Amino acid sequence: MAGELIDQIISYTSGISNFSDARFMSVGSKGIAYRNGEFEGMESSDTSGYAIRLVNDSMAFVYTDSEDWTEVRSKIDLLLPKTRRHGKNKISEIKPVKASWKVDQKKKIEDMSIEERIEIARGHDKLLDDLGATVRMNFIGDKKISQHYRDSDGTAIDAEISRVSYYYVFGVFENGQFEQSTGQFGSSSGYEYLDSLGLDERLRSEVRALRENLSAPALKPGKYDLIVGPEISGIVAHESCGHPTEYDRIIGREGALAGESFLTGKEFPYRIGSDAVSVIDDPTMKMSYGFYEYDDEGIRARKRYLYRKGYTDEFILNRESAAILGKEPNGGGRSSSWNMEPLARMSTTYIEPGEHEIDELFEGVKNGVYMKSFTEWNIDDIRFNEKYVGKESYLVENGKVKGRIRRPTLETNTIKFYSSIDAVARDLEFTAGSCGKGEPMQGVDVWMGGPHARLRDIYLK
Amino acid sequence: METVDRIYEKLSRMGMDEIVINEVSSDIEQLRFSLNSRDLLNQWYENEYSVFTSRGRRMAEVTLKSESEIDTKLNELKNMIDRVPENPSFFGINPAKQYYGNVGSPSIADIDLQDLCESAINGAVEAGAERSAGLAYLVKFKHVLKTSYNEAEYSGGGAELVIRSFSGTSTGQESLHFGPAFKAGSIDAESIGRSAGEMAVSGKDISQGEEGRFKVLMSPYLIGNIISSSSEFLSYYAVDSGMSCFAGKLGYRVSSDVFTLVDDPLDMTGVGYRPFDDEGTPTRSNVLIENGILKKYMQSYSTGKKSGYETTGNAGIIAPAAWQMRIESGKESFRDMIAGMKDGLFINNAWYTRYQDYKNGIFSTVPRDGVFRIHNGEITGSVSGIRISDSVTGILKNISGVSNETKNTKWWEEIQPSIMPYVMVDSVNISRSF
Repeated sequence: MAGELIDQIISYTSGISNFSDARFMSVGSKGIAYRNGEFEGMESSDTSGYAIRLVNDSMAFVYTDSEDWTEVRSKIDLLLPKTRRHGKNKISEIKPVKASWKVDQKKKIEDMSIEERIEIARGHDKLLDDLGATVRMNFIGDKKISQHYRDSDGTAIDAEISRVSYYYVFGVFENGQFEQSTGQFGSSSGYEYLDSLGLDERLRSEVRALRENLSAPALKPGKYDLIVGPEISGIVAHESCGHPTEYDRIIGREGALAGESFLTGKEFPYRIGSDAVSVIDDPTMKMSYGFYEYDDEGIRARKRYLYRKGYTDEFILNRESAAILGKEPNGGGRSSSWNMEPLARMSTTYIEPGEHEIDELFEGVKNGVYMKSFTEWNIDDIRFNEKYVGKESYLVENGKVKGRIRRPTLETNTIKFYSSIDAVARDLEFTAGSCGKGEPMQGVDVWMGGPHARLRDIYLK
Repeated sequence: METVDRIYEKLSRMGMDEIVINEVSSDIEQLRFSLNSRDLLNQWYENEYSVFTSRGRRMAEVTLKSESEIDTKLNELKNMIDRVPENPSFFGINPAKQYYGNVGSPSIADIDLQDLCESAINGAVEAGAERSAGLAYLVKFKHVLKTSYNEAEYSGGGAELVIRSFSGTSTGQESLHFGPAFKAGSIDAESIGRSAGEMAVSGKDISQGEEGRFKVLMSPYLIGNIISSSSEFLSYYAVDSGMSCFAGKLGYRVSSDVFTLVDDPLDMTGVGYRPFDDEGTPTRSNVLIENGILKKYMQSYSTGKKSGYETTGNAGIIAPAAWQMRIESGKESFRDMIAGMKDGLFINNAWYTRYQDYKNGIFSTVPRDGVFRIHNGEITGSVSGIRISDSVTGILKNISGVSNETKNTKWWEEIQPSIMPYVMVDSVNISRSF
């Protein structure tokens, strides 16, 4: 049976290393695509294997998909001398824990027929077509993950995880003008999540917004009060709080690729914005796309304040970065598959809701912009200089939402964004994403979200 | 009987019309470093089978890892084929009998990655860099393909070295790949590290960049990033989907006449080397844009049938893709291009390229790892906080010069294996943060 070598592996590696851990992971995923009214194909992928880490004078992983003990042992033996060469070798060790956890499903992935999956994709493609979307792609996906983690100190964690996702991209093209939209939703659950989303209404609203954008005027550049919707507060929380507080980035571990952090070299706590701003990363949020009870290094997950009332608070730590910081790991070690090292990663990252009603945010605005959702976005590698282009956006005059505007652009920096926030509403919504980091690139499942928030006197173009 | 043959036989007995099996077995070593010392060594041993099959226009795909999964996964595949709708855009796989000749590389040279990385770090330190981060790869793999019409295999791989050096907050980077033909001892890691270090040191006095239209000398990494992110627009799949800025432009001018873009998977100096595509069509050098004129889209057999063109050997059966893009080199040297610049920017690298409009190719990307102001042929300062906010077609049409030097560029997910020169682009829209 796949995975049954896990205890034999850790028994062997415990005798040849200062610390070792082993993780078996199997991932079975299915996906269906519909494009412009045509069924495009169905894919079913199964992958599994062992990630075995040895720590001696330096650290090394061997990843093997073999289930033959003699072969696995020979791969470990080949790795061993490479851990005798010099390099970094700090890693946090914890009091042993034994536990198992799983994701609950109501409408189980394994019970979903091919026809039911196809109908979801086909139905949304048809709806978009009927609404006037000229180009369309719809993807439905699910995966079942089985994981067994062991370390040389005696920790043993077993997990069964189910995740469901839906992704679309579509565009409207009229009178030579084009507007496009993408959306991603996901959950650690069964297919009941898609039923709960109200996708039809979301898509109707999205197409309506794009069609109205086609003839909307551009924004006159200048300073405005800005109200951002949950989709934007979510991406900002992810990009300019979650990423820069990954401690492996702060200490340079990801410097060649994903980059360092604007927090590198700073003294903490460091002021990042107004006291209206707190940002949380919480892997324990059930049904979230990034939900887990134990991380991929056997560490109990817990909620973390990354920014609290305008200052940095905790960092996201995996075992390696926690050892360098000299603190306990806090459950941030995640890996996208069996053949990837665990890095310090986000789960569900969101701006903490405040006390205001949404209407109250608008009431205080004389000349402003309401940017409800975004299209293009990016941020520099220290997570400071960022850009968000509005998708569904409106002018706000004397507290009232007025006409649409087309693709207003907020191009600012992290400190200015968070320092400009003077009010945060009490609502909270999430979207899903695949967060990229590492080499090879690892996309891990996350939620990002937040409430409506108001920024004062910020430059838009 | 080999596993591939067993999969094939079983699918044939199940009554499938067409079958494509790709088996890739790999042995990959990677070493990562930061703060001038080793972080981690990763060693992968993997084997995977991708199995595509069709009956009429019904098609499905599974991947599996081992012999023991064959019965389960192929029964699942048959169940999928029995129940999925037809794909009206699927016209089969390439049925022509192919002759591949001697392809691939008999062996990949062995190198000590730790020594390689330490040499690169030393080069950067000698150049004055405070710290460097990076990684190196040694890749060896065997690719076996069996289709309803053809069988082929080759061994491939190569090496990669990435180093990013820091001087304060200033950075410089080199990120090169070496195809299966590379020789042991031929990688001058110290020189590569020195180059990254020198760039980091020369950019250490940084000021906020300005908005406006600028002449920009793009390094192989920057233009490699833009070409990599936009290469899918040259796939017929994107054109057919209605999401390509090159749709409807076949035979028309899409760039200035100094620009010629080739997909060249047979160049063994690069790790993008690949002798056949996912359905067994031999790959070849394809001129996609020639002196500014769009000559062809990348095609599989199926997309070619749909669009009335021949396959270009770029399958992905459903979505053709580039293997190893190359911009044909020009006549000027990099030094002469800098020297001839009156007022502009030299940008070494960029990341986070994102599109707000696929149909018009409108995007922005964030410069990094060396962003310099140039006045009268001299570097006069280093800038940050800017963004290229433009369109693919706008940039291609404004290319006014191409260097005679090229680099084998590959970097993370941002730059696919490619062979790129320095490119001068007039009137690039630069935006900045406020």
